Amino acid sequence: MIRRWRTLPLLLVGALAPTFSLASLPFENTAIVRSIELGGSLVHVSTTYAVKALQPGQTTYQIMLSKAERAKTSWFDVKVKGQTVPLEVAELGEDESSIGHLLSVSLPKELAVNGTLNLVLETVQTHATHPYPERATQKEPQLLKYEADLFITSPYATLVQRTKVRSSSPNVVSYTTPHDVDSFVKDGSVTKSGATITYGPYYNIQMDAVFIAKYQQPISVHYNFDHAVLEVKTLRRTAEISHWGSNLNIEDDIYLRNAGPTLKGHFSRLEHQSQSYFRKFSSHILSDLTLHLPPGVTNAYYYDQNGNVSTSHLRKTPSVAKGSKASQYSVLELKPRYPVLGGWNYSYTIGFDTPLEDSVSYDANNGIYNIGIPVMTLIPGAVVDDAEVKIILPEGATNVEFISPFPELSSTMSTHITYLDTTGRPAVILAYKDLTDKHTGMIYVSYQVPFSAHLKKPLSVSAAFFSVFAFAFMARRVDLRLHKK
Amino acid sequence: MPAAYPLPTDLSPTTVANTASLLRIIALALISSAAIASRLFAVINFESIIHEFDPWFNYRATRVLASKGFYEFWNWFDPTAWYPLGRVVGGTIYPGLMATSGVIYNILHALNLPVDIRNICVLLAPGFSAFTAWATYMFTKEMKDESAGLLAAAFIGIVPGYISRSVAGSYDNEAIAIFLLMFTFFAWIKALKQGSAFWGTIAAVFYFYMVAAWGGYAFITNMIPLHVLVLMLMGRFTSRLYVAYSSWYAIGTLASMQVPFVGFQPVRTSEHMAALGVFGLLQIVAFGQLVRAHVSSKQFQGLLFAAVVFTGAIGFFGIVGLTYKGWIAPWTGRFYSLWDTGYAKKYIPIIASVSEHQPTAWPSFFMDLHFLIFLFPAGVVMCFRTLRDEHIFVIIYAVVASYFAGVMVRLMLTLTPVVCVSAAVALSSLMDAYLDPTEPEVEDEKKESSTPASVVAKSSTSTTTPATPATGKKSKKSKDKETSAPAGGVLGELVSNVASSAVAANSAAPTQKGIFGLDTRVVVLLNTIGMLLFFVVHCTWVTSNAYSSPSVVLSSTNSDGSQHIIDDFREAYYWLRQNTAEDAVVMSWWDYGYQIAGMADRPTLVDNNTWNNTHIATVGKAMSSPEEIAYPILRKHDVSYVLVIFGGLIGYSGDDINKFLWMVRIAQGVWPDEIQEPNYFNRGEYRVDSEASPAMRDCLMYKMSYYRFAELFGSQQAVDRVRGQQVPAQGPTLDYLDEAFTSENWIVRIYEVKKDDVLGRDLKIANAFDQGKKRKRTKPTSRRKAISA
Repeated sequence: MIRRWRTLPLLLVGALAPTFSLASLPFENTAIVRSIELGGSLVHVSTTYAVKALQPGQTTYQIMLSKAERAKTSWFDVKVKGQTVPLEVAELGEDESSIGHLLSVSLPKELAVNGTLNLVLETVQTHATHPYPERATQKEPQLLKYEADLFITSPYATLVQRTKVRSSSPNVVSYTTPHDVDSFVKDGSVTKSGATITYGPYYNIQMDAVFIAKYQQPISVHYNFDHAVLEVKTLRRTAEISHWGSNLNIEDDIYLRNAGPTLKGHFSRLEHQSQSYFRKFSSHILSDLTLHLPPGVTNAYYYDQNGNVSTSHLRKTPSVAKGSKASQYSVLELKPRYPVLGGWNYSYTIGFDTPLEDSVSYDANNGIYNIGIPVMTLIPGAVVDDAEVKIILPEGATNVEFISPFPELSSTMSTHITYLDTTGRPAVILAYKDLTDKHTGMIYVSYQVPFSAHLKKPLSVSAAFFSVFAFAFMARRVDLRLHKK
Repeated sequence: MPAAYPLPTDLSPTTVANTASLLRIIALALISSAAIASRLFAVINFESIIHEFDPWFNYRATRVLASKGFYEFWNWFDPTAWYPLGRVVGGTIYPGLMATSGVIYNILHALNLPVDIRNICVLLAPGFSAFTAWATYMFTKEMKDESAGLLAAAFIGIVPGYISRSVAGSYDNEAIAIFLLMFTFFAWIKALKQGSAFWGTIAAVFYFYMVAAWGGYAFITNMIPLHVLVLMLMGRFTSRLYVAYSSWYAIGTLASMQVPFVGFQPVRTSEHMAALGVFGLLQIVAFGQLVRAHVSSKQFQGLLFAAVVFTGAIGFFGIVGLTYKGWIAPWTGRFYSLWDTGYAKKYIPIIASVSEHQPTAWPSFFMDLHFLIFLFPAGVVMCFRTLRDEHIFVIIYAVVASYFAGVMVRLMLTLTPVVCVSAAVALSSLMDAYLDPTEPEVEDEKKESSTPASVVAKSSTSTTTPATPATGKKSKKSKDKETSAPAGGVLGELVSNVASSAVAANSAAPTQKGIFGLDTRVVVLLNTIGMLLFFVVHCTWVTSNAYSSPSVVLSSTNSDGSQHIIDDFREAYYWLRQNTAEDAVVMSWWDYGYQIAGMADRPTLVDNNTWNNTHIATVGKAMSSPEEIAYPILRKHDVSYVLVIFGGLIGYSGDDINKFLWMVRIAQGVWPDEIQEPNYFNRGEYRVDSEASPAMRDCLMYKMSYYRFAELFGSQQAVDRVRGQQVPAQGPTLDYLDEAFTSENWIVRIYEVKKDDVLGRDLKIANAFDQGKKRKRTKPTSRRKAISA
């Protein structure tokens, strides 16, 4: 309801704007199929556009997302169907009539008239679902609601389009039946079979402001979700590179929240224990997490503000040489201090060491080190609202350059001073927002360390010790007594 | 001169002295590392964590000091403690401990060593135990010699009586106080021996540090004057004594008054009056000595004596009069409880309720001191045989500390250093006698035995003995040797009963004592070494088993022998920290106040700083009253959550039901009409099963502990594993509270206090309505009662 009111002014603006000129459209969509995988924090949407060119020499195709959709979408990529290489996408921003947000896709090759191509747009939406009802007791199932627009927006005319909404469990409480869509429908406006709800097919859609004001409508699906809805409010990752120790230490400060329905009433240990006794877990209660750490992990630690958390297991795998593909991960099973129920928070810190040679490469010709640091350790099904990755390079590193696997919010350089540093270490700080399971990848940093920088620490420490001994040596030989014996 | 075994003779004295010095340094370094290492059991078995209760407050205060600076810390008003009263922290603590950690923290950070403040706090006590070993070495060196000093250092390094208060993580005032105590005493002895104002000032400075660090400074405040008084009564007044005491007292007292928590106490309370009185007496005596040195008339001396007695009496009655008028505070209750062990139980139950304030059970003397407790009297006797000024100090210290250690478990700590010193003196005398290769000369005993030459010769040979090095270097040292040598002979006689008959034959010549043969020596020395080895084994065992548990984290053993960690406290505290409103007031018994403030970061009603008995009694009353009476108390104090510790499921005996009688007693002290201890007994028995008394069954503590406990057992009979009693299957019900969180092993149970009913009903009626029960006619009257209560 709230969402609908929010979009109302948009619709009004859209209605006032001049309509599209129909004549000069370069493309038409022969079919659009959108399939939505309902989840907790993350909703995966995959939209397939069957494109036909109407004008010759087309190199760019435009995809339109509604503004609300764009705000929810934290990751997207476009591929030609069946291929793995993503196409180049430029964000154009709002279109003139402010119906939606335009993405411009560079096609792999020019399309001639009547040339066809199947494009797949994959997006991940975050914060797209909300618990409904907002409060639930410990025993009640976890019900979520997802809302989207009924019609898939596109700047071009669409012959037929269809939306599939797939829930992870067949237990769907309710879904919207669209209204005023008879003119586009041949069979039924919506059908449900099992866990899948299909809207459409709808025929002959021509998006413009008038159409949107008249027919575009929100659909909502109210469904049962069997996993904890996890939200990482903040993630602070610190990666510290030590050449002397040949070690890469990665430490994550995590503030985790169960974003499912807030617990109504109170937590009863008795019920929790009887549930676990009868193996009937309320699956939306987070009682453990399984994380995949890189192979060759040593010295893993897991603590929070009250000290070490003794309830975790680490299954190590041997380290693999850089470049070769890891066949196994080290698996870290974390158990929070207490089961995290809906609306509860849990903050903790985990960290581990990996051999430096697994992630750094050295080019002897120009003396450049290249290191890859993973942006984050994936917490399955969780969205990371705010992430900050700080990469601390060795003391005296120069010519620091870095490449992020996806655009960062901001990047800064700073100086980090730690054990026995004299001038401090350069650090790269990158900030990100709304990270999902698609935002994996490495931040690559390249730097040079002169040999003199390596010697800085041992020299300064030995100088300090030498001065202490020298002082003691002299102090013993100075006689300050007034009365000499 | 016959020798039992040959010694190299071609060594120059410098080589011997240098080697001995190096060996001493190495020995001290090894002792220090052993002292530190044996205290790390807690870190290795568990983790680097702050232990128990009080350390959590010290840790929290240190964090404030480290993060906000000294002035913020000094002016820190903590609104979350003693809600709603708050606590002026800066003025109610001994800041020495936090200041020490703060200084170390800042130094390390200035050197770019970003050590976490928690690790500094955890490792402070082991670090200072190394200093204590050194200070004890210095102190004992003044008593006898370096070898006794090394033994004393080794003893204090690993003796459980001291380790019990200084394991890693036991971040309490005692952690640094014992070092300060020993060093102040050492400086005092040094000042007394040399008559040095410099050492007197050093003693005063360390006394100031001690005052800033521990409430037990009163021990020094009274020990040193007592020593001076005894010396004066023995006619040992000297100008050295005058200089030492005057400089210590004047500077020490002025310095101690700079600590806000102490303030004007050194001139206003009875505990400090002895020091002042002795100071006055010393001035009078000194004046008398001065006058006597100039006047020779016998008559005048008599007059002077009368004047001295008169002035002394005036001073004494002046102090008594001022006390009577209220200018000087009389003895405090804590002080009285030192003399009358039943006093606290009668008048201040809150002091008596602390387990470490109980009288010491005698096996714990052996547990904490092992064979030192046998050597201790021997060492004191040795002191009598020499009886220089500093030996009198040890004797007084031994007597006083033995008494206090018998009164309170906690004061075992002050006894431990003197036991180590005395035992080291005794043992080192024994070793001296048996390591000395010189054999008594039987043939020409008549000629040489009585001449001092043999003694001198003996000490000159012992210069080459590595075990008793450095003796004979200075003439003063050889005097030490001379006096201690016959003492070794006495113990040698004792041991010789078992060892050999050679000495018995020798005893015919009383002036010539010594040990014949190698076998005697070897037997005795092996015995000694055996005792020392058993001591080490015992210390290690006691330390690892009894004194290294953080008590915040419990551990048990799995069936396969691996360690199982029970972490309920931190689980529940962390839940409070993460999932409750930041200003939610938590009520619990005062034991857990500091832990809640430290780990859960929430306001508490009462905590381990038990300054307000009424407030604690209020909590006791709420815990021991039925819900209807407790609820208005809880609401008046804005309590959102009530936390109880319940060990019935896994058998954790330190839980609230076992402490409950103290709550009742303390509440009874303030509200004798409403809370009566006998009501909680059933025919004299403290029971929690179906035979529990009605008052027990209705009280909040019982209900919160056993709420839904029986349901956990299903159809089986529910058993409380701590008390070994069967809990009724029909458990208590709660109307005014709601279970909010229970930890994994049910040790910590947290209840939320319900807000007023939205319809204005009494919560009990609202609850009955929700459960579909019919409203009874009699209810409205009870409801009015509950609200007005």
